[in-house]
Amino acid sequence: MSTATAAPDGRRTRPWAHLLVGRVTPLGEVLAGGRVATKALQIAVAVFLSVVLWRALYVGTSSQAGLDREQAVTYAVLGTVLVSTRFSASWLNGDTVLQRMQQGTILFWFLRPMSARRYYFVRGLGELGYAQVWLAVTVLVCLPLGVIQEPDPAMLPVFVVSLLLGNAIFYELNLVLDLLCFWTVMNQSAVQIMFFVQTLLSGGFAPLWFFPDWFRTVSLLLPFQGTLNVPVSIYVGRLPASQIAGSLALQVGWVVGLWLFNRWLWERASRRVTVQGG
Amino acid sequence: MTTHLVGTGSESAAQRFAAAWILALRITRLNLRARLEYRAEFLLTVLTGLVWQTSILVFASVLLVRFPGMGGWTSPQVLLIASMRMVSHALFILLFGRVLWITGLVQLGSIEAFLLRPLPVYRQVQLSMFSVNAIGDLLVAATLTTMAVTRFDLPWTPARVALLLAGLLGGLLVEAAVHTAISAFGLHLGGTVYWSNWTEELMATFGNYPLNILPKVAQAALTYVLPIAFLAYLPASLVTGQTQGRAVPGLVVALIPLVGLGAFVASRLFWNASLRRFQGVSG
Amino acid sequence: MTPSAPGEPIVTATHLTKVFHTTSRRSGRWGALSSLVAPQRASKTAVNDVSFSVGAGELVALLGPNGAGKSTTIKMLTGILQPTAGSVTVAGLDPHRNRERNARNIGAVFGQRTQLWWDLPARESLAILRDIFEIDRAAYERRLAELDELLDLSAFWDSRVRHLSLGQRVRCDLAAALLHDPPIVFLDEPTIGMDVVVKEQVREFLRHQVHERGRTVLLTTHDMTEVARLAERVVLVNHGQLVVDGTLDDIRRRFGGSWQVRVTLADPGADVAVDGLRIVDRDGPVVAFGPGDDGTPTLEDALRRIIERHRITGVVIEEDDLEDVMRQAYLDRELPDTVA
Repeated sequence: MSTATAAPDGRRTRPWAHLLVGRVTPLGEVLAGGRVATKALQIAVAVFLSVVLWRALYVGTSSQAGLDREQAVTYAVLGTVLVSTRFSASWLNGDTVLQRMQQGTILFWFLRPMSARRYYFVRGLGELGYAQVWLAVTVLVCLPLGVIQEPDPAMLPVFVVSLLLGNAIFYELNLVLDLLCFWTVMNQSAVQIMFFVQTLLSGGFAPLWFFPDWFRTVSLLLPFQGTLNVPVSIYVGRLPASQIAGSLALQVGWVVGLWLFNRWLWERASRRVTVQGG
Repeated sequence: MTTHLVGTGSESAAQRFAAAWILALRITRLNLRARLEYRAEFLLTVLTGLVWQTSILVFASVLLVRFPGMGGWTSPQVLLIASMRMVSHALFILLFGRVLWITGLVQLGSIEAFLLRPLPVYRQVQLSMFSVNAIGDLLVAATLTTMAVTRFDLPWTPARVALLLAGLLGGLLVEAAVHTAISAFGLHLGGTVYWSNWTEELMATFGNYPLNILPKVAQAALTYVLPIAFLAYLPASLVTGQTQGRAVPGLVVALIPLVGLGAFVASRLFWNASLRRFQGVSG
Repeated sequence: MTPSAPGEPIVTATHLTKVFHTTSRRSGRWGALSSLVAPQRASKTAVNDVSFSVGAGELVALLGPNGAGKSTTIKMLTGILQPTAGSVTVAGLDPHRNRERNARNIGAVFGQRTQLWWDLPARESLAILRDIFEIDRAAYERRLAELDELLDLSAFWDSRVRHLSLGQRVRCDLAAALLHDPPIVFLDEPTIGMDVVVKEQVREFLRHQVHERGRTVLLTTHDMTEVARLAERVVLVNHGQLVVDGTLDDIRRRFGGSWQVRVTLADPGADVAVDGLRIVDRDGPVVAFGPGDDGTPTLEDALRRIIERHRITGVVIEEDDLEDVMRQAYLDRELPDTVA
């Protein structure tokens, strides 16, 4: 057993270990008895309602806002799953920035050989990966049941790329909110309001195509529609081929822009911790 | 200043009843004032309560205007269901909402404190705080009701208005009955909070729609197992006269206020029985 | 980096100073608005020119009343806070500039805050830390087994952290802090709120780490029993400044050391006076002596003088409670002739 005065030699003995840290939030879900089952039930009920609701709305109509019945139902189902699974459950771990600021445990992020930024990123990878598992399972269950439509095979890779970009925008947006906590302008109510604003403007409550023109114009100027509306619209085939490139470019633009903004914000935040205290 | 407490025996039942209400209103005013002290937080909570209703607002203002309706109900009629649900739910939160917080009260030791005071414990639970969320719910309810009433495609006869009010009362009592019954378990089991959350979620999810759009089995479950149909769909069917696909005989629907009252009284009795066996939190 | 020889300074604070600048909101109706435009700035010097060093393998207690600057000092020593002036060296590194490298050399336990994840079983939390510190799996299993033996973790490490009692949780935090075998450990009030049995377990554990494993421990505490039983050296800060850097006896000498020796004389003659001592009380054959007015002798000296002077059949010694001494120290009530 080594003595305590032996110093580490800095050589990385397990280079991929940091990636494994990303399991921290989903692990709590999986290890908690019954929580996965509860979530499956919740998603099943929400999907069930979406399907029944949209089919009932479409009785007597074949197309509305450019969406036929199958497209609308599929959009609603995919949107519901994404909204139900994407938001971080790290508050159950006491791991949100807001909680850590309130309880003073934020200082531990600065006492580890893994930068706070890297930890946050790796954890986000784990959470979003877990959400995609739920999405994949839902699609695989609903497709053979005829509940949702099959995607155009040519569009499938485009959808996957767009979904990854959408997840990246989603991650960056939540990071902005979390970083604002370092300046203590956040509290629980503000977080909830942001949740609903994001869901509304991304098409999580109803496909954005149904909203009036002025609303769609506003949402195009904001990053939220890139997180859900773009990838799901590609899946259901609502986005005309001519617009796909533009939409993807817009997604990339938001990813890069937000990433740069967050880099700057992280630096300011870290400096704030070291100057003002945890 | 003398305070008239219940139980001195010399007043009449009417005087005691009035005194109890006056006391309740005084406590409510104090609770509200306490919340109002933190203006910013108060407004933020109201706003949060409002945004919680985003999905129903989107449904009402964006979707219903585009589509002809659902389940044989016209869009204005579906809107009526949603607005009736919102009104009776807002009233539920205002009058009975603290029952959802029973697990917290048990853990804080408040129930023990309530047992030592000369007031019914259920009433003290309701008076323990002011639900600022109710204000957000009321604002949304008012908006939806205005939209629904003005766009309604049937004439507003006095009879129809009476049916509307009766339906609201019925829905309010049924919701109160369900949550009171669940909270009776909450007096003993901490895990009950998951059940009450799940129930609230289901009510919010399904309560705004004509349930005849669901497959028969699902509709039966939401009528007889968890009486979501009684919250707004069935009362609204009284007002609109839309009876096709209903899982419940017309007579029962017509007596919804009585059904609600019966359910609520039963749930209160059950709650009191549960309270008698209350054991409190472990040391 | 070569390991430090025992006793060689491994943590050095030199002229550490920390000044906080805060903006406060003005009061009144337009306060919020005027604060945005012309905020009231205030500066608070939390730590003012503090210098001391800790040798490898030492256990040092950092004491001081609330608001004395202890937490701020610890935060600067661990690299969380950047000093306004002065420098810190921990195992040869500047902890603030070399945060990630320094993190491998130190472990930290903050009594009221856990670094574990609430929703995970404690054991899983430790596994995550294993991955954060990139500890080899075999070495991890060995360390975990050793820590389990010392802290009895396996009794509860499958429970979620939020369900653990305070004592169990702090034991897990101790394990978490030592998982990567750091040579230096910082503890900020680790036993606060614990029952006496668990407190002694923790102290025993810390003693073991220092004496058997040669770790360096710097600990802040309000618990005087802890100080008396654990600390070889004590650093007292008050009002952001270093007041004492020495042993408990040094503190007693400066701030307290009031005592009484109550003896039962075998032969109660008329004259019971003893050189340099004051007679506090007399009740028949029972005489209570206290320190004299000038040149206060130590308790040991006083006892010697009394025994030389008289024959006694019984003795009761009352020494100033360490808490009383510390209270004097916190209130800056030095004994007059010991000002350095």
